Amino acid sequence: MLNFEFNGRRMSAFEGDTIASALYASGVRIFSRSFKYHRPRGLLCVSGRCPNCLMSVDGVPNVKACTERVRAGMKVKSQNCWPSLEHDIFSVIDKIGRFLPVGFYYKTFINPPIEWSRVEWIIRRLTGLGDIEEEIASATGKGPKDGRSIHSSSFEHLNLQADVAVIGGGPSGIFAALEAGNAGARVVLVDDQPALGGHLRYSGETLSIDVATGEGAYSGLKSSAVASTLEKAVRDRPNMTVLDNSTAFGIYESNLIGIVRGNSVIRLRAEQLVFATGAHEFPSVFQNNDLPEVFLGRGIQRLVNLYGVIPGKRAVVVSNNDSGLGVARTLMDAGVKLEAYIDSRKAVGAPETLAEIEDAKVQTFLGWAVKEARGSKHVSSVVICEVDNEGELVHGTERVVSCDLVSLSTGFETEAWLLNQTGSRTIYDELLREFIPRELKPTVYVCGDLTGIHDLNIAIMQGKVAGLSAAVNLPAMERSSELKVEYQRKSLETYSRLVSQYEGKYREGMKRTRGPDVLVVEYPGSDKMRKRFVCVCEDVVAKDISLATFEGFDDIETLKRYSTVTMGPCQGKMCSMPSLHLCSRVTGRSIAQTGRTVSRPPYVPVAMGALAGAELHPVKLTGIHYKHIELGARIMDMGEWKRPHVYTSVEEEYKAVRESVGVIDVSTLGRLDVKGRDAGKLLDFVYTHIFSTLKVGKSRYGVICDDAGIVLDDGTVTRLSETHYFITTTTGNVEFVEEWLVWWATALRLDAYITNVTAGLGAVNVAGPKARDLLQKLTTVDLSSGAFPYMSSAEGEVAGVPCILLRIGFVGETGWEIHFPAEFGEYFWDTLLEAGKEFGVKPFGVETQRVLRLEKKHVIVGQDTDALSNPFEADMAWTVKFEKEDFVGKAALVAAEKKEPERMLVGFVMKDSMVAHDGDQVFSQDGSRHVGFVTSSKFSPKVGRCVGMALVTPEHYKEGSLIRVKSDDALNGAEVTLAPFYDPEGKRLRA
Amino acid sequence: MGFLLECPNCGKRDVYEFRFGGEAHKRPRVNSSSEEWMKYVYMRENVAGVQQEWWFHRLGCHKWFLAIRDTRDNSVSI
Ligand code: FES
Ligand SMILES: [Zn+2]
Repeated sequence: MLNFEFNGRRMSAFEGDTIASALYASGVRIFSRSFKYHRPRGLLCVSGRCPNCLMSVDGVPNVKACTERVRAGMKVKSQNCWPSLEHDIFSVIDKIGRFLPVGFYYKTFINPPIEWSRVEWIIRRLTGLGDIEEEIASATGKGPKDGRSIHSSSFEHLNLQADVAVIGGGPSGIFAALEAGNAGARVVLVDDQPALGGHLRYSGETLSIDVATGEGAYSGLKSSAVASTLEKAVRDRPNMTVLDNSTAFGIYESNLIGIVRGNSVIRLRAEQLVFATGAHEFPSVFQNNDLPEVFLGRGIQRLVNLYGVIPGKRAVVVSNNDSGLGVARTLMDAGVKLEAYIDSRKAVGAPETLAEIEDAKVQTFLGWAVKEARGSKHVSSVVICEVDNEGELVHGTERVVSCDLVSLSTGFETEAWLLNQTGSRTIYDELLREFIPRELKPTVYVCGDLTGIHDLNIAIMQGKVAGLSAAVNLPAMERSSELKVEYQRKSLETYSRLVSQYEGKYREGMKRTRGPDVLVVEYPGSDKMRKRFVCVCEDVVAKDISLATFEGFDDIETLKRYSTVTMGPCQGKMCSMPSLHLCSRVTGRSIAQTGRTVSRPPYVPVAMGALAGAELHPVKLTGIHYKHIELGARIMDMGEWKRPHVYTSVEEEYKAVRESVGVIDVSTLGRLDVKGRDAGKLLDFVYTHIFSTLKVGKSRYGVICDDAGIVLDDGTVTRLSETHYFITTTTGNVEFVEEWLVWWATALRLDAYITNVTAGLGAVNVAGPKARDLLQKLTTVDLSSGAFPYMSSAEGEVAGVPCILLRIGFVGETGWEIHFPAEFGEYFWDTLLEAGKEFGVKPFGVETQRVLRLEKKHVIVGQDTDALSNPFEADMAWTVKFEKEDFVGKAALVAAEKKEPERMLVGFVMKDSMVAHDGDQVFSQDGSRHVGFVTSSKFSPKVGRCVGMALVTPEHYKEGSLIRVKSDDALNGAEVTLAPFYDPEGKRLRA
Repeated sequence: MGFLLECPNCGKRDVYEFRFGGEAHKRPRVNSSSEEWMKYVYMRENVAGVQQEWWFHRLGCHKWFLAIRDTRDNSVSI
């Protein structure tokens, strides 16, 4: 026994019980309160297809109690009731009946009769389904510091592939899977139940199977025993994967099936799809048809045969098809007294069973239907009436049958939604009264109840046909031996012939027994039948549908949106057929003409967390990362990279770089290797600058624009040989630049090959007046300014490691950017720090680097430029070489150059001690006009005040122009500077 | 949830392995009119139907290729 809690009470359950079966067995009858009228609702479908048993389980709202297994200690609470399920205050709405007619919210709140704030709290309590509990809300919202929810770790995504995917593990699906597997296909069988077998598991019947199907051996056996045997046969096969407890919720392009299994989403890609999704029952519509203990027939069979629960003492079985007879048998076998068997047909398809029922002294009413159910919190009797040929109740024939359980076998609806998502169609079959598959897309096959035919022999053969067809049509199967192909073709013929024979007989039988359509009972002359519920999710009654149709919403799609029928949690599973019938009755159009609403994925509710999957963020670490940790650096995120923000303090690190030497890990820079005869040509075309004339051993700054002239990226380009260039890009932008270069090389058909070498290379920048002294200790490469001037490069060994050395100066001091194989990172770093000890070397972080570069007014693309910046605005006109015949962006830049720019990037120095923030707004000197915004700003140790850059209107693009920066609500004076704040002539850079 | 796209080098792969490169259209000559450039830079056909477009096999061979895709059902041919 397992113990769990229900609304604070201790409950017990057997292993294998669902919450609903355990509660029902303990006497619980009311499982929820309805959405609008707060009417008591009990179990209906017992298969997860209606809204009646939604509960909150361990804080997760809207869990279906009838499919959720009991786990020891789980906490279950009812929803949508206040203060309790048994006594819900808002159920008075039900008593004043007419309170909320169709379109109530639209009509009432277009011009609210009273102030919204006065009624809001009531409306809020009345509407919505379930509550997200506090602890979950806080965890998923602000929650722990890293912003992760406590649940996220349990979600995951899986990818699977199959030759043939079979959706639905009932008899037809099983035979489809077996047949496809026999033919050599890799099969995945998806089923939403814990065990395979479909209705065989719970129908409780003794099977009679035709020998011609080849499965005659199963005849005379109990259906549940056959289900287990078949399940074992499937699971024993090596080329078969069974996904149980798994619901396919959507079919997407290229035969991708979205499947939810607990907290996982499985993406299954299959060559061929077999749909064996079956059909579900739905209730007919009569007065008070929503009372607790009015069940769907198969729901009762599940309770009895899967969970061993006796559902009531005195039952009435209501039917319009042969499955009702099966339910009557189930109830009698379970020892429930059958008060009456009511069938709207005059003849049944299984007279033997009817005779058995009559032999048991049960009253049978053929040609009768239920007019209403009576009872307050659960059903206590039904009123039945004779039905005329038009399906209307006959006046004066009323009889009351008392009972405590009503079973409805009032119709099947094919589960065709997933099938429809493949683009395959369904049409309404007047004889079968179901939507059946037609015009199947290639690679799509159907079998079983989904075809609108409910017969085990046919299901078996249809399954075989579907499975075998799917397998033989596999592209890879064409290679199998001719003999086999011939054999398969023969079998397929035999199976198909059998299917059409059986089907013909089945249809004959349907014609013989066909009765009037009494899906929605009408009682002429009575307007009292106000509580005929069509949609139990949204509490839409028959009158609402008729009224909405009268009001002009007579297209099934508009009717749906206006009345909200089919829009609740069940998504139309319980109400789509009845509402269709009503709509067609009012409009006089046939069901086929009325058509069904389209249903999109997901077919069942899927938790957002499951769709999102595990919260896994890729993280990139440089080869030196753990050295930074050892040095006590504060680490920051930069895209996917982790970088040291600061080690000791900005002041200390700044001082080291400016006065002796500092080292920074710049392994995060993007690095591309460009080779080929046309490498120079490619770069000339992609960058605004010229690189084909660059001398081997030289570096040059470059800007990449798009054809709109917008700056996309910048970096250095170094020529290593005639046909070999080495490029650096902005951190985090290298994938884009790579794609961009490859695209142009492809589009221009150039002989140039681009390789992203970022991950393979580590890099450090050694900068400061003592950088040369430090490095010269470690290398034989001549670093003197004569031999190795600013903007030149060399390949050589440093500390025994093969390196590319670039003499560039982002931070404005003598310095080398050194690239080396990433695996030497820690060694290289340690060696540098060791060798630099005598000069007082210090590692510096991103924050210090930002101060240093800002003093030099070096632009960071993406920070000092935005999605509208061209090189002129960024004050980098010098990088644009119009003498080139063409390059990316030339046409746009030629045009831009002729125009006055809308804004210019300028430097500024604050007048007082105020430190501006990035993004602060900039105003004219008199404060009257908004003229731009700050892109970067930092306190400059060199200047002794805050310096920065701003994008401002061009009239301020002049040395000494006065502006005001709005910081912390004050307008602070600042002065524009066009030259760098530090070493404007670049003497130190070149030293 | 993602269709299959056939890379000429690597074969059929999930579309998530690729970067979409937009409609394929001819780049104007450098001295073309500004209208022509404007059209090239900003205007797209956005057809409901078949179009030629660029794709980059980001998680595969790192090559760009042209594919013909029906935007209505994402069926692709090369
Ligand atoms: S009774 Fe649980 S969903 Fe219908
Ligand atoms: Zn590829």
